[in-house]
Amino acid sequence: MNNPILRFFSSVRLTVACLVLGCILVFWGTVAQVHLGLYKAQNEFFRSFFIYGQAGDLKVPIFPGGYLIGSVLLLNLLVAHARYYKPGKRKIGIILIHFGIVLLLVGQMLTDALSIESQMHLRIGETRNFSEADRAFELAVIDTSGKDTDQVVAIPARRLAHSDEFTDPKLLPFTLRIKTYYANSSLMEQPMAGYEKPKITAGLGSNVYWREMPRETEMNRVDVPSALIEIATPHGSPGTFLVSGFVERPQAFQLDGRTYQMILRPQRFYKPFSIHLVEFHHDVYPGTDIPKNFSSRVRLQNLQTKEDREVLIYMNNPLRYGGETFYQASYDPDDGGSVLQDVRNPGWLTPYFSCVLVAVGLVWQFLSSLIPFLKRRAA
Amino acid sequence: MAVAVATLVLVAGCRRDEVQVYRLAKDQTPTEIPTMNTGALPPGHPDVAAGQESAAPLTWKTPAGWTEVPATELRVASFKVNKDGKMVDVSVIPLAGMAGTDEANVNRWRGQVGLSAVSADDLHKSGETVDVGGQPAQLYDITGTNPASGEKLRIVAVIQHRPDSTWFFKMTGDAELGEQQKPSFLEFLKSLKFSAAPAAQAGMPATLPPNHPAIGDMTAPPAGGPVSHEGQPGWQVPAGWQEIAGGQFLVAKFIIAANGAQAAVNVSSSAGDGGGLAPNITRWRGQLGLPPTDDFSATQIDVDGGKGQRVDLEGTTAGKPAKMVAVIVPREGQAWFYKLMGDPKVVDSQKDAFIKFVQSAKY
Repeated sequence: MNNPILRFFSSVRLTVACLVLGCILVFWGTVAQVHLGLYKAQNEFFRSFFIYGQAGDLKVPIFPGGYLIGSVLLLNLLVAHARYYKPGKRKIGIILIHFGIVLLLVGQMLTDALSIESQMHLRIGETRNFSEADRAFELAVIDTSGKDTDQVVAIPARRLAHSDEFTDPKLLPFTLRIKTYYANSSLMEQPMAGYEKPKITAGLGSNVYWREMPRETEMNRVDVPSALIEIATPHGSPGTFLVSGFVERPQAFQLDGRTYQMILRPQRFYKPFSIHLVEFHHDVYPGTDIPKNFSSRVRLQNLQTKEDREVLIYMNNPLRYGGETFYQASYDPDDGGSVLQDVRNPGWLTPYFSCVLVAVGLVWQFLSSLIPFLKRRAA
Repeated sequence: MAVAVATLVLVAGCRRDEVQVYRLAKDQTPTEIPTMNTGALPPGHPDVAAGQESAAPLTWKTPAGWTEVPATELRVASFKVNKDGKMVDVSVIPLAGMAGTDEANVNRWRGQVGLSAVSADDLHKSGETVDVGGQPAQLYDITGTNPASGEKLRIVAVIQHRPDSTWFFKMTGDAELGEQQKPSFLEFLKSLKFSAAPAAQAGMPATLPPNHPAIGDMTAPPAGGPVSHEGQPGWQVPAGWQEIAGGQFLVAKFIIAANGAQAAVNVSSSAGDGGGLAPNITRWRGQLGLPPTDDFSATQIDVDGGKGQRVDLEGTTAGKPAKMVAVIVPREGQAWFYKLMGDPKVVDSQKDAFIKFVQSAKY
């Protein structure tokens, strides 16, 4: 194997270099998190191929990001394995170890790509069949003309940030023109310094002022977007609306004999089943305020599979159902409601498998050296 | 293979931007905002004047002399009171999420009546707890002058943090009429009934849950509990001190209970010098029912990185005897306030532990 490229990608030096870069990246990212905020630091440092810096007007890559280091490590492991592989009983251990690590890396990449986390906030007595994203918003355009059902077209707010308009005749008989989009915003009823009056022609009306706000960096604060959107059709427009994550009520308009509602809300994930909060308990150690246990008794109903059962969800005892896991995450300060964290992660088992593989591989490798050694000594 | 995974990651990222389309059975959608073009309410809109329908998310009892005006724009309810040519306007506005800190909002209202901003600490003291729909809320009574017209203007504002949103109840207008109408305003707030949220109510919790796991991370679920340690210096908490949620303005709060009596330790910080020794001593004396004095002496104690100012005071709160030990720790650009206050016996027994606690704080 004299190909210099293959030699490079299979070298141990590359492994060491990647690990060192990885250490630097973790340290730098941890420190950067202080002023960037957890979410932004994660995205910029770890969920990226490069970390970019500014050189005048250009964005230049200045350091490899998490994806790049991870990918190179994975490639390095695979190429080195291919280069040095010699079949043999003694080598089974090494193969298992390597495969375990490959599975770990691949599993984590899949988790990052595919997992979705959301929340279900239920007041006692409330039933919900959807969960909401923590930070992602969506513009829901709902056709309410039907007698029994509504048709929802949910456009992720990220798309509003990147495009000037949204047109899809298959979904909506009109074009949404995004005149202005603020990823983080503030709304006021009175004119204040820095606030402008958006050119609204329908919906919220004249006593609203808005401004763009800098993105939130603190962990427990979230960006709340607002946007000025015009509904455009070839023969006129029902108006230009201000939609905002702050406004919980939808705004309605009519077009061609159909009625629609529009609302900017946290992204919703609807499920084929519903969860009803029967009871919520916040237990404290007697005589103190120290929390002992949080538990939610919920009723899980799935009309399609005819399931209807009660489940107790409490700390370290989540509900696993329908490919999703519901954890007891938080609660309302008046103890009248519970917040469940809903995690959908198809790759959740990979770390367990990879740990087992690596452990077995290590034991095998150790034994395959130990046993001959002991035999030689006995001889 | 690495290339394949990398491609999958990119593709999945694009998938997150995909538009979702689905059909839902009709549920109770929240009351729509009336369209601006028509003066009348859109057809099918619940009668606003009634406000008593069980389907409406909010019901109340309208006080005598208050004229209800149609809810529009951001307002869920809106009233006007006219007497002898004077006027006040009452609004109820819910905003999803946190909608700014209480300090930011109150200082904004103070600015509207030509008053200067106050610090978070002073704000906490000036707020009055009132009942809104059976739950506590903070009331701020602000009187000043309208910078534009020179008229005396009063804003009585109540902020209530509800699970999904922050509700603002404001009575704005002529200062005297506002004073007159304040009891009616308080009655109105008590009469509010928030019905159980229907399935369709959107909105996010007022804060993300504590110990929120990183997005995409697979770590074990969080332990739960309202105490957040964000922004706290590293310190050693003495035995017997229970930390509870500090709320908006405190960095930390501890309760010490012994033999049926209790004391509390509040830790807060302010930008700059936090006002300096004199105004804070005056404020603390006020909290113990003591008159202001000219004596602003304090004992200097050693703390991490310098010296702190310690003040010992004795007085009464709510008719009962109380003691206080307060320490100001000035640091570059920020001042930290530590206050032990409560039952005299508990304070006496905890004094030394408190000073040790203050000294153990590393910033």
